[in-house]
Amino acid sequence: MENSAGTRQTLPEMPDTHVVSGAVYTDKAIFEDEKRRVFGQCWHLACHESELGEAYDYRTFDYIGTPLIAIRGGDGVVRTFMNVCSHRGAKIIQEPSGNAKRLTCFYHLWSYDDRGNCVDIPRPEAYESSGLKKDDCGLFEVRTETHLGLVFINLDDKAPPVADYIGAALDPFADSLGSGELEVFHYNRAILHANWKAWQETNLDLYHEWMHVLLRRTQVGEGSMNTRVVKSFENGHTMGGGLKASYDKYKGMAARDPGMALPGLGPDDFFFVDLWPNAALLARGTAIRIDVVTPIDEKTMLVEWRGLGLKGDSADVRRTRMQHHNQYWGPFGRNVPEDAFAAEACELGFRHGAATRQLIAREEGGKGQDDGMLRAWYAEWARRMGRSPANPTNAIAPD
Amino acid sequence: MALDAEDFTAFIDLCSTEFDYRITVYSPEIRKEMIWLDQDYEGMRALLEMVPQHLKRLGTLKRHVSVYIIDHDATAAIATVTSSFIVTHTDPDGVSQLFVAGTYYDEVDCRGDRYLLKRRRAHLETRDLGIGSHIPI
Amino acid sequence: MSARRYQDRARPPNLRSEDYVSGQVYRDDGVFRDELDTVLGKVWHFACHVSEVPEPGDYRTFLHALQPLFVIRGEDEKLRCFFNTCPQCGARLLGDGAGTAARLRCVRHPGQFDWSGRVVASAQSEDNAESDVLSAAPRLREIHAETKNGLVFVNLDDAAQPLDAFLGQGLEIFDGVFGDDGVEYEVFHFHRATVKANWKAWQETIVDLYHEFMHVVLRTTQMTAAPMSARDMRVYPNGHLAIGGLKADYDNYKGYSARDGSAAFPGLTVDDARFTPLFPDTTIITRGTVMRIDTVTPLDPHRTIVESRGLGIKGEPEADRLMRMRHHNDYWGPFGRNVPEDAFAAEACEKSFGKGAGRYQIIARDEGGRGQDDLMLRAYYKAWSEMTGRLAHSPGNT
Ligand code: FES
Ligand code: FES
Ligand SMILES: [Fe+2]
Ligand SMILES: [Fe+2]
Repeated sequence: MENSAGTRQTLPEMPDTHVVSGAVYTDKAIFEDEKRRVFGQCWHLACHESELGEAYDYRTFDYIGTPLIAIRGGDGVVRTFMNVCSHRGAKIIQEPSGNAKRLTCFYHLWSYDDRGNCVDIPRPEAYESSGLKKDDCGLFEVRTETHLGLVFINLDDKAPPVADYIGAALDPFADSLGSGELEVFHYNRAILHANWKAWQETNLDLYHEWMHVLLRRTQVGEGSMNTRVVKSFENGHTMGGGLKASYDKYKGMAARDPGMALPGLGPDDFFFVDLWPNAALLARGTAIRIDVVTPIDEKTMLVEWRGLGLKGDSADVRRTRMQHHNQYWGPFGRNVPEDAFAAEACELGFRHGAATRQLIAREEGGKGQDDGMLRAWYAEWARRMGRSPANPTNAIAPD
Repeated sequence: MALDAEDFTAFIDLCSTEFDYRITVYSPEIRKEMIWLDQDYEGMRALLEMVPQHLKRLGTLKRHVSVYIIDHDATAAIATVTSSFIVTHTDPDGVSQLFVAGTYYDEVDCRGDRYLLKRRRAHLETRDLGIGSHIPI
Repeated sequence: MSARRYQDRARPPNLRSEDYVSGQVYRDDGVFRDELDTVLGKVWHFACHVSEVPEPGDYRTFLHALQPLFVIRGEDEKLRCFFNTCPQCGARLLGDGAGTAARLRCVRHPGQFDWSGRVVASAQSEDNAESDVLSAAPRLREIHAETKNGLVFVNLDDAAQPLDAFLGQGLEIFDGVFGDDGVEYEVFHFHRATVKANWKAWQETIVDLYHEFMHVVLRTTQMTAAPMSARDMRVYPNGHLAIGGLKADYDNYKGYSARDGSAAFPGLTVDDARFTPLFPDTTIITRGTVMRIDTVTPLDPHRTIVESRGLGIKGEPEADRLMRMRHHNDYWGPFGRNVPEDAFAAEACEKSFGKGAGRYQIIARDEGGRGQDDLMLRAYYKAWSEMTGRLAHSPGNT
């Protein structure tokens, strides 16, 4: 047999850059390392600034097992704190969003302000003999920076600023995200049963357009494979651009009205930027989608999807934008459920070692359906992790 | 029942040509009401026709509906119906789980010789829909 | 600037070591295994109330330290406790929570046992109870069971000290309540729930007096009903605790009304509140007209079964029983005002400690054993440290 059980483990004759071992999805030790070396050190897109529109607006979320809260201060600055009470450790705020000048823990009513200071302890006299001071009971602050309206956090206090980390990668979004005119109109989240990288790959792999009926109809035949650009940037960020869509080629969809295009975008433009490691921003003329994937464990992830439009949209325009967004990208849309299906299907292949590797070997000179984004993504993974994606269970460099 | 059986023609046949369908849901994260699916009669028909070509959730969905309130307007031409629904998903191995819970706010056109669904608002309580669904609720 | 840097979160609080507890006690698998062996495997554990097994053959099954057990009343009226597994094949014997059985049958084999754990029929010899095969066959594995004040306790440790020695004066605040003046209690309420939290986080919701602030009902009925200085906390050997001197003004909470004086249990006035957390997993609480007994049973470091019982007086008129049920459930039922809040709190702590985000909790309040002192929490963790041989503030170090 050509590919019998005996030969299955042998990797094809291919450079290490073109092969990814299934162990990157399943190995617990690799996942523990990712928590430290990837999620513990990289900038993470937490939310869009429009979700914290007013002073004292807050958003809570979990990041790698840590409950966090981002709050816009009275001074307009967004800060992020561990959403954990300094007293007996309770998660302080349970609601996903709200507005509060004081964050008061429900348990014994200790309160914190918008800077994370502990400002009230009921019946504090009882702590005198122990020497406990309010000043020692502040919340733990996590680095937070805003870039093009996107709120990023970093668990590593020593990481370089987010603008340096992103570099030129978000330039294609400078006019739209940079306009300050955008707001989030769509949010949904789901637990998917697959390794987190399998989701990110659906935004890195151009070749899988074949899977989507919608893309086969509206995208594969449009423009030219030659005008597409697959690019990579410093720090592992990547971009796929130069795609075009003819929306009226899919039954039930209509061409986009140029008047509805977002700043800097043509109505039938499609491009996307993947921010390493776990975010993707996709622009389709009339709507922008932002994906963020966060692992829960090595085989479970949380995906969050946001849709952005213009703050000043009339009700009619907003409704149409929602329609455009959700046709492709909503939970009842044509595309996203297919990507989620694919991610979970790959998980089934890799989970117990039935599949042992995947190939990311397509080369089309940085055009068409080149796997260049996937390779660039895994090159950064190799650098951060000190492991080769082709043979990841042997760490090649210690910390 | 028609949607459960994925008999989309039969479902469309129950809808009036003025059909107006939305799936709405409130996000406490961004504090906004959203419309996750927004279709008229033609749109719904096209969407359902395309479903078989898509790669979609395996297994079957089953809708369980309890009618709460039925109200007729003065001329008895239009009835508004409020119902609670849950949808279960049964995977190919036969394991069933709750997929989504919500409320239908329907308008039924009673003018013709048979009742036609004129308007449906499916308001969801459930917000995590896993991989999502190509088939409306 | 008094927000702290994320990087500094592992630094212990600048306090005496007894004034804080490490989050590892809630999540570490090694700690949990030690707790099963050195704490739950050694202590007397409240199993049920005698009224739940009134007649010979009545049994009650439960889980303790992950072991399936049952208590049964013998034809000799004695209460015994056995492992709920067949000694020959390991299969479970009794499938339901309570019942009456003349014989305990193994689900897999014809093996049968009587109330004393003796084999009365076996796979080898179906009906000859006197045969040599039977006398040689293994009996049900029995563990210690003893009763005090109608409370049935069991102990997995064959070498355990007697129940009385373990409890010491631990039940003294109930002396008048459980006194020998002929009042017999019975269980009228039972409720069990799985809470997504470490078992100690539940026990803490009882041991921690400061959290009255969380409960609207306690803020309105309890915090001002009697002076903080009238409260009286006691710490006994073996980690048992008690507090008395609490009072309640029931009519301060909308929809409640003052309790009728004649309905109080003996030894109590209607507005008295007292409770005794018995180390490590049981609490007895009285509020004038009602008594609740809670147990926590860990399933793993992150999940816990909480069982709650309500007691009334045996043979009391129906109207009194209905009143007691109402009083009990106002505070303590699954649809009551208090217990769901405590479960919420325990789960909120799990959300921070369960995956290691929260590192420490502070138990430093000192009010001279009165008011909202953390004295009882400190005593609880002191006993815990003594039994596990691990330091509660740094459980990796023994
Ligand atoms: S745990 Fe937050 S105030 Fe006590
Ligand atoms: S064809 Fe690409 S994974 Fe099967
Ligand atoms: Fe896709
Ligand atoms: Fe409580």
